[in-house]
Amino acid sequence: MSAEPDSASAQNITAFFAELSRIYSADRILTNNAQLAPYESDGLTCFRARPCGVVLPETQQEVIDTVRLCHRFEMPFIARGSGTSLSGGAVPIENGLVIAMNRMNKILDYDAEQLTAVVEPGVINLKVSQHVAGDRLYYAPDPSSGPVCTIGGNVAFNSGGAHCLKYGMTSNHVLGIKAVLPDGEIVNLGGDSLESVGQDLTGMFIGSEGLFGVALEVTLRLLPKPEKYYTLQAAYDSLEKAGNAVAMVVASGLLPGAMEIMDRLSMDAADAAIGAGYPQDAAAVLIVELEGTTDEVEAEMPLLHSVIEESGAYIVEAAKDDAHRTKIWTGRKSAFSAVGRLSPDFIVQDGVVPRTRLAEALAEIERLSGEYGIRVANVFHAGDGNLHPLVMFDGREEGALHKAEELSGEIIRLCIRLGGSITGEHGVGLEKRMYLGEMYGEDDIEFMHRLQHAVDPQKLANRGKKLPAATAPALLTRGAHPLEKQGVIFRD
Amino acid sequence: MTTSSMHRPANIEELQDFVRASQNIRVCGAGTKPSLSSGAIVSTSGMSGILEYEPSEYTFTALAGTPLSEIRDALAENGQLFPFDPPLVEAGATLGGTTASGLSGPGRFRYGGIRDFILGVKMVTGEGRAVFGGGKVVKNAAGFDIPKLVTGSLGRLGVLVELTFKVFPIPETWTTIRADFRGLDTGNLAMIRLAMAQEELQCLDLEPSGRLWLRLGGLSAAVDGRVDRVRKLLQQVDAGVNVEVLSGTDDVHVWDDAREFRWVPENYQLIKLPVSSAQVVTAEQLLTEAGFESARRYSVGGNVLWLAIPESVGSDEVDRLCQQLGRPALALTGSWSDPQRGPRQGQAFAERLLTVFDPDSRFETAATA
Amino acid sequence: MQHDIPVDQIGPLGLPMAEAVQKCVHCGFCLPACPTYQVHGEEMDSPRGRIFLMKEVLEGNVALDEAEPYVDKCLGCVGCETACPSGVPYGELITAFRATSETKRDRSAIDKTLRRFILETLPYPGRFRMAAKLGGVGRIFRKAMPGRLGDMLDLLPAKLPAAQPLPEVFPAEGERKGRVALLAGCAQQVLAPDINFATLRVLAKNGIETVIPKQQSCCGALAAHTGAADQAKQFAKQNLKAFPTDVDAILTNAAGCGSGMHEYELWLRGEPEQAAAEEFVKRVCDVSVFLAKLGIVAPPELQTKTRLAYHDACHLAHAQKVKSQPRELLASIGNLELVEIPNGDMCCGSAGTYNIEQPETAAELGNQKARAVISTEPDVVATGNIGCMTQIETHLSNVVFGKRIPVLHTMQILDRAYRGEPLA
Repeated sequence: MSAEPDSASAQNITAFFAELSRIYSADRILTNNAQLAPYESDGLTCFRARPCGVVLPETQQEVIDTVRLCHRFEMPFIARGSGTSLSGGAVPIENGLVIAMNRMNKILDYDAEQLTAVVEPGVINLKVSQHVAGDRLYYAPDPSSGPVCTIGGNVAFNSGGAHCLKYGMTSNHVLGIKAVLPDGEIVNLGGDSLESVGQDLTGMFIGSEGLFGVALEVTLRLLPKPEKYYTLQAAYDSLEKAGNAVAMVVASGLLPGAMEIMDRLSMDAADAAIGAGYPQDAAAVLIVELEGTTDEVEAEMPLLHSVIEESGAYIVEAAKDDAHRTKIWTGRKSAFSAVGRLSPDFIVQDGVVPRTRLAEALAEIERLSGEYGIRVANVFHAGDGNLHPLVMFDGREEGALHKAEELSGEIIRLCIRLGGSITGEHGVGLEKRMYLGEMYGEDDIEFMHRLQHAVDPQKLANRGKKLPAATAPALLTRGAHPLEKQGVIFRD
Repeated sequence: MTTSSMHRPANIEELQDFVRASQNIRVCGAGTKPSLSSGAIVSTSGMSGILEYEPSEYTFTALAGTPLSEIRDALAENGQLFPFDPPLVEAGATLGGTTASGLSGPGRFRYGGIRDFILGVKMVTGEGRAVFGGGKVVKNAAGFDIPKLVTGSLGRLGVLVELTFKVFPIPETWTTIRADFRGLDTGNLAMIRLAMAQEELQCLDLEPSGRLWLRLGGLSAAVDGRVDRVRKLLQQVDAGVNVEVLSGTDDVHVWDDAREFRWVPENYQLIKLPVSSAQVVTAEQLLTEAGFESARRYSVGGNVLWLAIPESVGSDEVDRLCQQLGRPALALTGSWSDPQRGPRQGQAFAERLLTVFDPDSRFETAATA
Repeated sequence: MQHDIPVDQIGPLGLPMAEAVQKCVHCGFCLPACPTYQVHGEEMDSPRGRIFLMKEVLEGNVALDEAEPYVDKCLGCVGCETACPSGVPYGELITAFRATSETKRDRSAIDKTLRRFILETLPYPGRFRMAAKLGGVGRIFRKAMPGRLGDMLDLLPAKLPAAQPLPEVFPAEGERKGRVALLAGCAQQVLAPDINFATLRVLAKNGIETVIPKQQSCCGALAAHTGAADQAKQFAKQNLKAFPTDVDAILTNAAGCGSGMHEYELWLRGEPEQAAAEEFVKRVCDVSVFLAKLGIVAPPELQTKTRLAYHDACHLAHAQKVKSQPRELLASIGNLELVEIPNGDMCCGSAGTYNIEQPETAAELGNQKARAVISTEPDVVATGNIGCMTQIETHLSNVVFGKRIPVLHTMQILDRAYRGEPLA
């Protein structure tokens, strides 16, 4: 161990691992370099941290025992799913413990009539829909990493996807959670009914980025699968026109399941990856998907076509069949990773702007891109105003990361300025924590710190994520704040 | 509710001053759910009005004391509605009161309840601090989800001041289908089948007699086809089912009556019980065994039982039912030592959070009085 | 992904490895496609994890011997390449990594012996035949054998088919439409000589004359994928010399060999033959690809309705991106119902010498595959790789009771169809 964790001595670490080995067989405690290195980062590789160990629990009791042990030894920990976070949310805590949930992957209960499934947190998002497909049901949240990411990770980050406009995010599809709090206490939040009584603790737990503990069991709400999808691709000669088309669709009273825009760069990347066949000369392509009963969708189709034609699209093409629809979506959902073909490194931003400011935001991003001389690809959930600018750089060039981060910061501030959010669905993680204080007031941030403190006074659970390092910039220069002395506010 | 001792702060600063100077604070909106607002000393009615509404954003922000009817009308002018179909709109319910009580109506079956559409909140906590949580755009993952937490919190965490919600377009046309099944069992079976089906129903309610209410919303061009399909599904459960299709004002009245609880007999107390459709038959049996009079409606595809019982029925009876069903309950009317009945979950988590929202226990709901 | 691989210090394979690492964005889309990740659920046993590990080893941050167990566990199925949106040439990376690290490895005595034994027998049909025969004898002493040697024996057939020497030229039937050269394969010649003869007959039936160069050697894939770079280079160089240039194509009928030959340019990077290899590779293709492009004579309809499950060999589907062609050929047979195996992109666990080197993982994958095959209730299974055939046959017999499901090569299926013989 090259360095000790903040709050555990070397002696403690030996004792900690001795206790761990009472919970796990040797092959489920990983400690050598080759075992730890691959856990160092998630989907955002510019952040890395080496944990002191990784454990692979197979039962809820093992997770509970592990969290209690961490609490006893003041060992910081993170529960990790598939490590697909794009905000650094699943980066380990330096010299802390990683609880890898991948083997907790059983679907515990499935009740088609009640439209619910109870799953362990390591279950892969897409596996849920596959499991219930026989009853023509599905689990609605569809992050692009759906075939990879876990429900536990989705819960921690309130993951979204392409179909949030109509159906919302993860928290709108989770009815209940059994969790272990950072001090080892077990709580049952919510239940299996769509309705509840009392404050919505389930909603509060979701999106807490692991700060409130580890989910052990999640009750999901399932939906009947739409009978018909009608997926339309429209090509535009400018991003702005595509953006305006979104506003026009909304104004028409239609409520599509998804509205997505890809710019030229991201189309090129996705084309190279899967041969998606996007229009070669388009500056932007808009994907609109209607879904519902056949009767309803067929009635909506002409309306959608007239709106799209009016919006100035020069090619309008509907998916011919299921295979074509899959291709359109695979291309869209591969776009982030496919940008790896254009650039060795990139930062994915996740800001949200009011839909009416979409065109303005895109124009400003383009201007910033030119000013910084950095390529920015754009692929986004236009229906939600959720941008995903991909800021490209080559990490081996001196100062390139720093410059890319600066540009990313400008984009985040732009979203705040336009009345939006710094993150729509990827979470704050490590990467955006310094911007949280610009979206919320100083008091609000301090309040969030106090909430964390109330649940986890030692900051063991995913320490250092989501919230900025210090409660207020002033604290950095003035020494201990009176509130800090009283134990009301804290810094990392 | 209209006693002279009631404080009506006109803005957030006045409210903060009031909170800092008070103890045993209970909050009320319009008082449409008397068991939740009895003994209130502060009303949000002085803080009313829509602050922002941009139809193309699908969002609005309004002060907590704003009557739902005012917002509903503003939305309707722009072809939009509350997707969670809040109850007691005609009765005068406010946005804040509805949020704090966590109530949604029959239309929440399609897209989700009030917790699913709340985006942002500004509130005053027990320390008199103004706290903002969530955001004003339809999608936001920054910060803790305080807006969801306060939904249903019954005023225990603070006074809601300003709320932002997501809204949806109004379907071009509405149609209601009434299906009279022979009894509860068959009606419940039909409800389960329809909930699983791909018909995209807006509402799905069941009366204990076996009468099933379904509502479709969408383009008028598609209505006939959709109604036919639903009819076939209903007939698959019972070929002899009596099906009637209602539209226009007939359709509207059905759901207005459900939303306003006009079916609740005079002097009955109204209780909300979250259940599941698997419990409908059991619940009916338990109520028969309990031996007291009641009126019931199973709403949201059997996910909520609205139970109306005479005032003479004691809380013990309700507690027993909660225990037997393993469900919590919330009394909206009547006089209760604690309107929240039955098991409570997640107390360890709730208690920790409460130390931040209300460290000095200034907020008393009827629940903790 | 950012890296500090000292490209210049590594030699000719440094650059392709660095480029592969650089392309990886660590998104994890490869995880569900990786057989070892499905079995072990550990990051080190995933493509993303192994890329990271290889990078760390190349940068000098992680010791090779710590990383080896995880690199070794990779089947080389390259299912991850198909899944990868950013286009990481994973197969190239791991082959190059194994080649550069082998010389630095410290293997145990048993490991070394086993490895030498494999590399000195499998690629040489004569030696392999002898060893396999001895294996039949060894079976009597199965219980006394150490684990991995015993596992190896289990995969050998109880009785070998008689050796059949291949002709140097196999003429076309009727008018000659083309001329190709065929790689005969090594283990395949011993275990299932009929595959080559079926291939020759099917080609002939479609007017193709085939030459089988006498001087050809093993393709070298086995050596390359286990890190025996020098041996692989020798084989590649010999084949560059042995195969004629005046043919329409150089055909392979074993997926592993085909994908191996497509890598000649990589193996010979920095060698004088590199340019020749580049040209050679362009002419190599699987027999199914050649025939599908040619368009085949429709076989007569089968006498009885037959359900056929087609298994995608990883080195065809993932490494050579050949999925539709064998299916097209099979679909041209009347009265044959082609069914898809669920989770068909997943490796069967054969992967060259994998079932010898990583028997537990291989067995788990083999059983999973057998169960998936059985779920389709097929009368016969077809695939384009001898390794998969052996593996699936072995595990099918572990799983099914009573009914034997034959596992045949796509060419054997076509051959039987042309000859009016039943498939099952």
